[in-house]
Amino acid sequence: MEDKMTLLEAELGKTYTVKEIATDDEDMNAFLFRLGCYSGEPITLVSKKKKSCVAVIKDGRYNLDNLLSEAIVVE
Amino acid sequence: MRIAFAGNPNSGKTTMYNALTGRSEKVGNWGGVTVGSKEYQLKKEFAGNQEVIAVDLPGAYSMSPFTPEEGITSEYVRTANPDAIVNIVDATNLSRSLFFTTQLLELGIPVVVALNKSDINEKEGTEIDIEKLSAKLNCPVFKTISVNDKNNGLKEMISKAISLAGTIQKPPYLQADINLHDKDAVDAEDRKRYAFVNEIVKDVEKRKVLSAETNKQDKIDAVLLNPVAGILVFAVVMWFVFWVSQAWLGPLVADWLVGYIEAFQGWVAGQLESSPAILSALLADGIVGGVGAVVGFLPLVMVMYFLIALLEDCGYMARVSAVMDPIFKRVGLSGKSVIPVVIGTGCGIPAIMACRTIRDERERRTTSMLTTFIPCGAKIPVIALFAGAFFAGASWVSTLSYFFGLVLIFLGALLIKGITGYKYRKSFFIMELPKWKVPSLKFAFKSMMERARAYIIKAATIILVCNTLVQIMQTFDWHFNVVEEGAESTSILASIATPFAVLLIPLGFGVWQLAAAAITGFIAKENVVGTLAVVYGLTAFIDVDELEMVGGANTVAVTMGLTSVTALAYLFFNLYTPPCFAAIGAMNSEMKSKGWLWGAIGLQLGTGYTVAFLIYQIGTLVTEGHLGQGFLPGLIAEALMVLAVIMIGRKVRAHFDEQYELHKNIKGTEGAAA
Repeated sequence: MEDKMTLLEAELGKTYTVKEIATDDEDMNAFLFRLGCYSGEPITLVSKKKKSCVAVIKDGRYNLDNLLSEAIVVE
Repeated sequence: MRIAFAGNPNSGKTTMYNALTGRSEKVGNWGGVTVGSKEYQLKKEFAGNQEVIAVDLPGAYSMSPFTPEEGITSEYVRTANPDAIVNIVDATNLSRSLFFTTQLLELGIPVVVALNKSDINEKEGTEIDIEKLSAKLNCPVFKTISVNDKNNGLKEMISKAISLAGTIQKPPYLQADINLHDKDAVDAEDRKRYAFVNEIVKDVEKRKVLSAETNKQDKIDAVLLNPVAGILVFAVVMWFVFWVSQAWLGPLVADWLVGYIEAFQGWVAGQLESSPAILSALLADGIVGGVGAVVGFLPLVMVMYFLIALLEDCGYMARVSAVMDPIFKRVGLSGKSVIPVVIGTGCGIPAIMACRTIRDERERRTTSMLTTFIPCGAKIPVIALFAGAFFAGASWVSTLSYFFGLVLIFLGALLIKGITGYKYRKSFFIMELPKWKVPSLKFAFKSMMERARAYIIKAATIILVCNTLVQIMQTFDWHFNVVEEGAESTSILASIATPFAVLLIPLGFGVWQLAAAAITGFIAKENVVGTLAVVYGLTAFIDVDELEMVGGANTVAVTMGLTSVTALAYLFFNLYTPPCFAAIGAMNSEMKSKGWLWGAIGLQLGTGYTVAFLIYQIGTLVTEGHLGQGFLPGLIAEALMVLAVIMIGRKVRAHFDEQYELHKNIKGTEGAAA
């Protein structure tokens, strides 16, 4: 079985490509899309805390909670 | 002619709008400051002799609205037929912003792109070829710096927008003819649009520093977003704001101001020497004294506003929101609820309006219900008066008031979480961390003066009228005879306030004067001070010399006849009961539900009553070794409140279960059909 890597397990400072947004929450998917976070787009983790992280999407920095970073599958 | 201002959140629309119209609408360095649309005429220097109305719209990422606020924007540009659109683009985030730009360009309304924040790009060495960009988008593009007074590019940009009215631009990208109800087709189409934008950006933008590289700002953020250090910093920052405004600089200026107010009052009294005593009492004591007592606290409020404006302008609010999110999640709210709370230290009405950007309805209503527990600017005079008169001006009174307000917000949120049986839904939290910027002193000064103006107007209208009425009502009895000395309880005011005062006996301040002040406080919280000044014939509340504690007593404290315990109970009662009527009105329009509104008012009344009851009864027990007056009736009132909460909770939850049941049934049938 292929192990999906999410933003939660991503390395700091390394730029990944979003593979999919693994959620059945339509809102979450749509919201991330509008910011430019969708499959094929680059994403970089800047810092990580226990319950949240900061990631660069397009040219903006965002604070995401773990509910989101768990859903962002990267490669 | 109407020109709409549209663009992504935090691209600087309102800053530009303010610069072009001369207004001072609320601005701040985070996404979602503007709620609702605003419109005003352009300044002459920009519009010439034409009448041009600028329409400032809430930020939006795309034409398909996600929040009600975005809905306002897409609805407006689609249906209101503005003559032109100024699309404000955050020049530091071109790759995201142009998505919306290409959508706007499809509407058939002439668009001018304003590459705002171009100064930041220059600093970071990011170059955007505007001629190329303009050619690719087939619309004029201008570099703008709205925060600058000169060389900001605004005049050229807006003149172009005005001259374009009535023309048609050929859109660079047209959405394919797809079925808009087919989600996959829409998704695919939106991806194509983004790909189109990516191509443009690749062509026109040269970055020296890549966004993904860690920078200095990230290091600051690492500390501010740390769950321990970040919250500590927030506490220190807020304490500093309160300390400077209410214990140091604010009172310093206030002392100086009070001297002038007293001199003026003396002068008025002097002019009226030969007039009837009633007239003199009404004018010198009632109007000048009462209003003066309120105006005397103005410097405290002004300093506070100045400092909060600096915080809002630098980009700190987004960080606070992010660092507080995990804590607020525990009580069923989110980091988004923090911003209204901080704004609420200034005024409850914009705070309640700021709740509109919270997506989840339950969270939004809960926040607008609880945010006024944080004492607002109008409550500062009340806090300062009691701190000065009963606690030797101790700064812990003010600190405690805010801290306790925050505790009440948490407790209230937990209670509402319990009542509404919130357990199924999980809401995600995302917050853009805008680039830090040096806060503008000019902007903070403007925001402060704006507030000062509003405060003085309020003092000269609502508070003046209230004080006059209070003065008249306490001067006369129901037969319009002047109340004689020693028979004050026969006055109109006393007879109206006494029934309420009875209810306050278990709280330790069941006298009509205090009840009257609490009641006028619902009209405007500053009235508490004004009314106390009138009913007790006191002025110069913050005059340090007069308030010098002499053996634990001073004029104000002695006249009001309160102990430290009852004074604290009364202060907290005024702070944590419902806010003024204007704020309740704002609550009503945000909640859009009578049930929630009455629930909110009930909760706030209950909270104020309970807090005062506990402080008085426990405080009296500790300081005097026995319970206070009216303990039993108070206890019964408390028991009734608890009962009411349980009943409401049961009813609400039953309703939820019903709904939940219903969903299950639908899912069940679906399954059977398949």
